[in-house]
Amino acid sequence: MNKKSMWSFRFSTAALVLIPVAVGVNYIGKFIAGVLKLPLWLDSIGTVLAAMLGGPVVGALAGAINNIIYGLTVDPISFVYGITSVAIGLAVGILFYKGYISTFGKAIVAGLIIGLVATIVSTPINIGFWGGQTGNVWGDALFAAVLAKTDSVWLASFLDEIVVDVPDKLLVVLISFGIFKGLPRNVVQLYNNNDKVETLD
Amino acid sequence: MKSISLYVDRESFVHDVDPITKLIYILFAILVPIILPSFTVSFICVGISLLLILAAGVFRKTLPIFGFVFLVLITVVIIQGLFRPENETVLFQIGPFAMYQEGLHYALKITLRVVNIVGAFMILVLTTKPSHLVESLVRKGMSPRIGYVIVSVFQIIPEMMASMSTITDAQRSRGMETEGNLLVRIKAFLPLLGPVVLGSLINTKERAMALEVRGFNSRTPKTYLNVEKTYAYSKGIQALLLLLIVGAVAWRIFL
Repeated sequence: MNKKSMWSFRFSTAALVLIPVAVGVNYIGKFIAGVLKLPLWLDSIGTVLAAMLGGPVVGALAGAINNIIYGLTVDPISFVYGITSVAIGLAVGILFYKGYISTFGKAIVAGLIIGLVATIVSTPINIGFWGGQTGNVWGDALFAAVLAKTDSVWLASFLDEIVVDVPDKLLVVLISFGIFKGLPRNVVQLYNNNDKVETLD
Repeated sequence: MKSISLYVDRESFVHDVDPITKLIYILFAILVPIILPSFTVSFICVGISLLLILAAGVFRKTLPIFGFVFLVLITVVIIQGLFRPENETVLFQIGPFAMYQEGLHYALKITLRVVNIVGAFMILVLTTKPSHLVESLVRKGMSPRIGYVIVSVFQIIPEMMASMSTITDAQRSRGMETEGNLLVRIKAFLPLLGPVVLGSLINTKERAMALEVRGFNSRTPKTYLNVEKTYAYSKGIQALLLLLIVGAVAWRIFL
């Protein structure tokens, strides 16, 4: 792959139909996590997969549309967190393109980085919107404890977000990479836009 | 298949207003309390949103969403009341814990802000059909391809949920456990998610081909299935809202 293709902006039809599926996968992931009562969100598997298959631009677009749809269907607050989803899509797309997500070992490091990116983007939103909390019970308990000890809202909010986001994104990246490895080659090839078979026309 | 949209089909003047005006209202409700940060202004904005929700007859549908929001807001009140760094004036004591005035004041500010934003969005979400919203945006110049992407999500998710429940049944009949301790539940996650995701990703290929042969990439201007509905007062309402935003800025600067 050459550098030009990472940011190629001409969406093929295949890349566009990938986005609704990505949003659907996010939705299903969150739904299953809810049914199984898992203590994590697991609601960005689709965004990560879209970024792996289609690159950072498709990933970012999938993230943005994901939160718009969530805002219209589940809770209006997710509009605000659209920026985080866009950042996750971009980060995964870039890391994957650079080859930092090519084995499970590397995927662990990439997952930690993406968790950190999500935390850095979400913390100011949390402070502006909720006064620093995340709405997750464990994170908020830590928030209260740190706030009582250190008097720093930023530190408390950052730690609140990081304890929830990093494990979540780590698992999401690992699961997505596992699924990506299991995909048939002809599906992956559909999105591989560095060679001649990129479109169907 | 069950629709995932929160839209409520009713007859009311709020439903008749076009989606663009509702978007401008959201902008109004978010900006004005930021420009004029006083409790009175926030209360007025929340009040207007609540009145419009009541007028649209969708108040009952907002309760689950407000319920969730208030659950988080209660923890905000408790944590800020107890631990906010600026806390000085003790308001009252609950056992060994003291609630402070500054923290509660701040918590009230957050509560108003959140309720205000959620309320404004709720008017759009509960009284506008998603396809209608997308169509208005496309008429205003959004790419019809992006419009297709957004509308098709509302089709794909119920489809995926249906195949999800088939797969759950299949896996359960093979002896997979979905209840029990955390480890058992974590182990169930992949066998449930994997087949749905793989299946839907493989389907994208056929969907892409189906779209291509129907001229999805054609550059000729697209036509619309529905006739554009116009609401008589929308220009007036839009102008009034924008005028109020400008007025708020002027008020802030000159008074």
